[in-house]
Amino acid sequence: MSKLLEFIKKIEPKKGSLAHTLYDGFFTFLYTPDEVTHGGTHIKDGMDLKRTMVIVVLSLQLCYLLGTYNIGHQHFLAIGEHTAFLEGFHLKLFYGLGKLLPIWIVTHVVGLGIEFYYAWKKGHGIEEGFLVSGALIPLIMPPDLPLWILALSVAFAVWIGKEAFGGTGMNIWNIALLSRVFVFFAYPTTISGDEVWVAGLERASSGAAVDYGWWHHLCNVFFDWAGWSTFNGAAQVIDGFTGATPLSLAFQGGWEQVTSVYSETAMWWGSIPGSIGETSKPLIIVGALMLIVSGIGSWRIMLGMFLGAVVMGWLLNAWGATPFMEVPWQYHFYMGSFFFAMAFMATDPVTAASTDQGKWIYGFLIGFIGLIIRVLNPAYPEGWMLAILLLNTFAPLIDHYILQANISKRLKRA
Amino acid sequence: MDLVNIFIKSAFIENLVLSYFLGMCSYLAVSKTVKTAFGLGLAVIFVLGITIPINWLITTFLLSETGVFGHDFTFLRLILFIAVIASMVQLVEMVIEKFSPALYNSLGIFLPLITVNCAILGGSLFTVTREYTFGESVAFGLGGGFGWFLAIIAIAAIREKIRYSNIPAPLRGLGIAFIITGLMGIAFMSLLGIDPAAF
Repeated sequence: MSKLLEFIKKIEPKKGSLAHTLYDGFFTFLYTPDEVTHGGTHIKDGMDLKRTMVIVVLSLQLCYLLGTYNIGHQHFLAIGEHTAFLEGFHLKLFYGLGKLLPIWIVTHVVGLGIEFYYAWKKGHGIEEGFLVSGALIPLIMPPDLPLWILALSVAFAVWIGKEAFGGTGMNIWNIALLSRVFVFFAYPTTISGDEVWVAGLERASSGAAVDYGWWHHLCNVFFDWAGWSTFNGAAQVIDGFTGATPLSLAFQGGWEQVTSVYSETAMWWGSIPGSIGETSKPLIIVGALMLIVSGIGSWRIMLGMFLGAVVMGWLLNAWGATPFMEVPWQYHFYMGSFFFAMAFMATDPVTAASTDQGKWIYGFLIGFIGLIIRVLNPAYPEGWMLAILLLNTFAPLIDHYILQANISKRLKRA
Repeated sequence: MDLVNIFIKSAFIENLVLSYFLGMCSYLAVSKTVKTAFGLGLAVIFVLGITIPINWLITTFLLSETGVFGHDFTFLRLILFIAVIASMVQLVEMVIEKFSPALYNSLGIFLPLITVNCAILGGSLFTVTREYTFGESVAFGLGGGFGWFLAIIAIAAIREKIRYSNIPAPLRGLGIAFIITGLMGIAFMSLLGIDPAAF
């Protein structure tokens, strides 16, 4: 963090210029301003909430970019047009934006609305707490989620999960995951199965018609004028398309079944159906590195979670009773949302364990239990959301016993 | 293997508190600090582990038509179960008082309160309706007790953590405890649906 500060200090414009005003505005996104307390107490690098939140939001931006494009890409793959990744770039981008923007706007209007209301009612300043949750929630939802369900789930998470506990920083369970788990248990058909991960199809089965709304007709007018390819209103889902995600394929027939549909490269780089932001592993790892370098995401939790998943993967391979258990352990990281959960969900500093040893235990158990749920639980396709919520429940307990052990150790030494 | 399955199932998957909402009264009343919750949890494991097999013996050998008396006495089941639970709790109380006065004092009134913990009566009735064998009822009792123990120390740690949170005044105390219990129930649903016997 200090290297970055030195660099930013070097490019600081002269005070009093317009450039400096802009510089200062963006500087406080990442750092507290130069003005510090004069005399009396000095606080070394008071990392405040705003900077913490902004860094997390910044590290999510790559996921947003690819997520938006991938919504469009999956849609056009399903109807068999522009099947190469970069073909029909403008169509895929605008299609993705048309899906993502409403989700993003509804999330923020509902979440920030409740947040502002409570800030006004309780008479404190507006807390930036929802910035991160609001950035995470659109990324973990399926692209075709009805907006009223999204609004309900966000309201549930912010109201019951956070405001009932006293607001930002007081919640026990991860807000973004609470909103997703609400959809998952209350409206399961909108967020599980093979047919919800590809946008814009009534059903993902072959022969189904594609629906394009007014937004795309508007785009068509513009694309026509520019001489680009346009949305094809008569398109249909191609034969043999199922929309099954790697995880559901692996559940049916193990790793061979997965590779018969998706290549390893596609799974690694993220051009596969899934929740909006969780498909691309390298971009998430870039975000995770940003969190580790800035000291916001705990590397102990991430490493612990990775180790937990590896150990459980080995155990399942050794057991090998179903095709899914026989999927070699390293391939579990190609499928599903392991990296997204590891980088952005498990490391949430409010809901995770806060002692150093506690973080190892917490992370390890998430990896361990998450893989159990993914492989052994036929009811749920993916395990990380539920494993993290389960460990959020036990994080205060882990901390309690780590602290007690420390206290009794020091008492003995005294 | 069957016994291990029943233990895991009753402890994690069909948790007495968080999926059947049994034993809520002492669960909510004694969960203010981890230390007392820990003691009460241990006592519940012990009582469940003993009363459920004893109640199984009673239903099988005294109350059923194939038992010693040769008559169907199932209408006496509830009364007998409660009598057994109450006497077992008395016994546990005396033993703890004799051998570990410190634990006895820290538990205080909550030790006799286990008698009215409906998780224990519920557990005994489950063994009847599910037609467990003797070994299975032992595994079920211990597993159910362990699940109850886990749930109460987890909520106690959470309630210790939120003690200084700025919770809205109407929700302080029991209100937030109920919300926490509900959310814990959601978290415990993660394991619902796993059938250990299927593998």
